[in-house]
Amino acid sequence: MPSIIRFDQVSVIAHEKTILSDISFTLFSGEKAVLCGKSGSGKSSVLRTLLGLHAVTSGTVYFQEVPLTPASVQTIRSCTAYIGQEPVLGAENVRDALLLPFQFKAHREHQPTQQQLIDVLQRLQLPAGILKQDSSRISGGEKQRIALARGLLLGKKLYLLDEVTSALDADSKQAVFDVFSDPDLTVLSVAHDPEWLERCAIIFELEAGRLTQVKRHDNP
Amino acid sequence: MTTLDIALPQMVLLYVLCLLPWLLLWLIGLRLSRDIGISILRMSIQLLLVGIYLKMLFDLNNPWLNGLWILIMLLVADVSILRRAGLKVRYFALATFTAIASSILFSTAYLVILVIQPTHYHDARYIVPLAGMILGNCLQGNVIALERFYSSLRKNENEYTTFLMLGATRWEAVRPYFRDAVKAAINPTIASMATMGLVSLPGMMTGQILGGSEPWLAVKYQIAIMICIFTSTTIACIINLKLSLNIAFNPFDVLKNELINKH
Repeated sequence: MPSIIRFDQVSVIAHEKTILSDISFTLFSGEKAVLCGKSGSGKSSVLRTLLGLHAVTSGTVYFQEVPLTPASVQTIRSCTAYIGQEPVLGAENVRDALLLPFQFKAHREHQPTQQQLIDVLQRLQLPAGILKQDSSRISGGEKQRIALARGLLLGKKLYLLDEVTSALDADSKQAVFDVFSDPDLTVLSVAHDPEWLERCAIIFELEAGRLTQVKRHDNP
Repeated sequence: MTTLDIALPQMVLLYVLCLLPWLLLWLIGLRLSRDIGISILRMSIQLLLVGIYLKMLFDLNNPWLNGLWILIMLLVADVSILRRAGLKVRYFALATFTAIASSILFSTAYLVILVIQPTHYHDARYIVPLAGMILGNCLQGNVIALERFYSSLRKNENEYTTFLMLGATRWEAVRPYFRDAVKAAINPTIASMATMGLVSLPGMMTGQILGGSEPWLAVKYQIAIMICIFTSTTIACIINLKLSLNIAFNPFDVLKNELINKH
């Protein structure tokens, strides 16, 4: 089976500081993994490196067995949804934020319908009325779910989640868990939340930019 | 009709006038003597040198010399734009030079060859002041465009990255900041066209009228120069920003922060 993500002895040095050091791991389609470790251990950097936001000093990052290069980075980005702690909506109101990626050439042909917008919001426990709301009045937890909704609308299969459940209440958290119970979706996340850790089959432990331990449990 | 000369004793009288604001400033407790002194001295020396240089340029009226003058002005403008916009000169010098040179040459040539049509196109009397004035205004616009674009890109780095992650190309992701920067750069020119003649008499028109021109002629030249300034600022800013996009980002579309000076 071909891998979705493969890091092969990847090191990242930026501004004379080692951010990642000799990281190797593989993630297959449908797997749910979490990176954990102290702050500054390089968890978020793993996600950012995969997206081409950090220059790789040595080693190779593979996405679907294709090495990350300037030519392939656009493909990786268009297949991946990255959701940070405080996602940027990038538009005046929620509807425009959800439709934002469909302005770009890559997605212009796939405009979602009103019903699709409402359905995806509902899946994430967000009311349809939120569509008209001004972006400045949206809370952190809502932003995360809107960003997630945007990924789902784009039909993305790989989700890079950085502390996504931290700002969510129990119901919304459950909604997010339900979304990712889909075996088609692959998840590489950064989290501290024990509930989230429990649901991830693979736990990567990082310390000072090194991968120190890989734990797998069979029934997430 | 010739303009009356200002003789040396009268020039001295002008400098004496500076004592009045200096005294007033001193009375209200502003100790700016040093700044004022340096500024007045610099103005006098710089204009004296320009006077000598322009006198020579006009006397010789050699097309190569005129061309050389424009080239030097462009090079000085190039460095000055990048310094003031906070970008590293050695990386962006060629892009900015290409942008301002092409837009200035285009609009000056348009104005001189198609509109004014002097007997000799290279006549220093036309191209030197016109190219200089267009360039001076274009310079302001380019400083604003570059400074605004790169500072808002840095300030909105998360938003820019989000656009990339949502499938935008580099060009699609920078477009909102690009538009804002161009708008900020040309807004002063648009505003000054709208109030032209109402708020103040434009400098070039005043100069021409003092020089003995008919007001009508001065008005037509003022319109000509404003349209050329507007055209060349717009063209230069767009070309300049566009060319800089190829320099300021790494192949993964990440802004190279090391090319931008910290403020």
